[in-house]
Amino acid sequence: MHAIDSLLLAIAASTPLLLAVEGEVIVQRSGIINLGIEGMMLAAAMAAALTHSFLGGIIGAAAMAAIFGVFAIILRADQIVAGTAINLLALGVTGSLYREMQDAFARPVARLAHDLVVPAAWIVAPIGLAALLWRTMFGLRLRACGENPEAVGRSVAMYRWVALAIETVLVGVAGAHLALVLSSGFAENMTAGRGFIALSIVIFGRWKIKGALLGTALFGIAAAAQYALQASGIGLPFHLLLAVPYVATLLILCGITGRVRAPEALGRA
Amino acid sequence: MRRLFIGAAAAVGAVAILALSGMAFGHPPGELLRILLVGSIGSPFALQATLIKTVPLLLTGLSVVIAFRAGVWNIGAEGQFIVGALASFLVARFGLMAALLASIVAGAIWASIASLLRFWRGAPEVLTTILLNFIGFHLLGYAVNGPLQEARGQYPQSEVVPPKAVLPAIDGIHAGLLVAVILAIAAWVMLYRTEEGLRLRATGFNPRAARWAGVNVNAQIARAMAISGAIAGLAGGIELLGVTHRLFERFAAGYGYSGIAVALLAQLHPLAAVLSAFFFGALTTGAGELQRSANISATIATFGQAVVILTVIAFGAFHARD
Repeated sequence: MHAIDSLLLAIAASTPLLLAVEGEVIVQRSGIINLGIEGMMLAAAMAAALTHSFLGGIIGAAAMAAIFGVFAIILRADQIVAGTAINLLALGVTGSLYREMQDAFARPVARLAHDLVVPAAWIVAPIGLAALLWRTMFGLRLRACGENPEAVGRSVAMYRWVALAIETVLVGVAGAHLALVLSSGFAENMTAGRGFIALSIVIFGRWKIKGALLGTALFGIAAAAQYALQASGIGLPFHLLLAVPYVATLLILCGITGRVRAPEALGRA
Repeated sequence: MRRLFIGAAAAVGAVAILALSGMAFGHPPGELLRILLVGSIGSPFALQATLIKTVPLLLTGLSVVIAFRAGVWNIGAEGQFIVGALASFLVARFGLMAALLASIVAGAIWASIASLLRFWRGAPEVLTTILLNFIGFHLLGYAVNGPLQEARGQYPQSEVVPPKAVLPAIDGIHAGLLVAVILAIAAWVMLYRTEEGLRLRATGFNPRAARWAGVNVNAQIARAMAISGAIAGLAGGIELLGVTHRLFERFAAGYGYSGIAVALLAQLHPLAAVLSAFFFGALTTGAGELQRSANISATIATFGQAVVILTVIAFGAFHARD
């Protein structure tokens, strides 16, 4: 019973990660690598903690996404460099604001009576996004933007903006969930690499929604094992356990078997 | 000329945006600029602090220059910096040269894990290097809370390194500055005056064409990654042996990520990286002064780095074609 409890707990704790993976799948399917997802989530967590709302989180993520979009979609700048800049930007801005507005962050966050985000992220969003991607004309065109943008023509930018907007909503909710549900407020650099873990799971899941679910669940199990090890009191020292999620992600990345094919035009500036 | 102009515009623009954003919180921009300037180059003491910050920034900047020039996404300078310092600390009792050598080797090995995973499993280095940063960070956390913690056991930090491993210094400026500048020149010679450098740049510019021209692209990638890691590792070793003399959890202080901003402001030119590192050294030192005297978080320097990177890529000046 205890094992199942901790497993469910770990899966619930992986919810922001799953939302980020789902968002990144959509964006990468449109041909863009958004490395700035870490910064988007961090900005979302801060905005959500300030406003005590999920909408605030989405607005925080949107601020970062808008800048990323200008560089990646309009200026066609290098996406990896632009994403790295977004991460630094979010780190700098949230760090500075946190110091400036300490009083505003001191207000305690009210506990949610029902956490609808977990079922939404694990059941509703995957079905909706998979249907959008694979069963609609819109999804077909969006994927074409990632495979052969020349064939789509002038509306490529529009599809990429829409994909980025979808990711923004998902990552905004993820950041808010992190700050309002999983923790009680904002802490500096609280995303702790979740964005990069999400990017790794996208590859492991071969740019598919069901792959996103599987990869995140695997990661959740690894995290549960970490908690169990910690609780057992034996074995690894605490600080080494902190490295477990990143080692697990490396292993997940290396567990890509067979031929992995990314969207053809992915990352092309 | 155009590239010089873009660099200057990015630097000035970043400082201007910093000053203006301070206005939002009721700090007059003129006052902020004054503190930034005086706090970074306005006194011999400030200038010394800036030069000391310039050393790790120049080294991590060069690390990124080499990698990006070869088209290798090494975002892992932060982790390589940490393991470099860790290795340096472990062999410090054998003297300065051994400690420096250890940092170089450790950095190269840590970076080469990413190469290995790329060639063996097809895992993109942009992600593996970042993940290795986190692993390196927690490894250091473990070390200074566990086996390497000071004998008193009071703080999560190591003992100081033995005096014979400490870098010599003149007027408070340690020899690492000289090492870093020499390396910048060496990197320039390597990239622009040797055939190996031409092959490396060809690999970064167009790997397919380079392969057609008979370049062993995979070997170039692996070598660039190892050199890049070696320099970042050395940066960690020099910071330990020249400045902090001990390890602690926040040892790396973002120098690895800052190296990306240094490299991009220099538009991936090793000699321009000297100026670029000095600029960011001044910005970091000035931001520290802002925190002390105006209570503005020093993380504002990170914001400045982001603005610089975005300005440089907005001008399309990143994919250097020369």
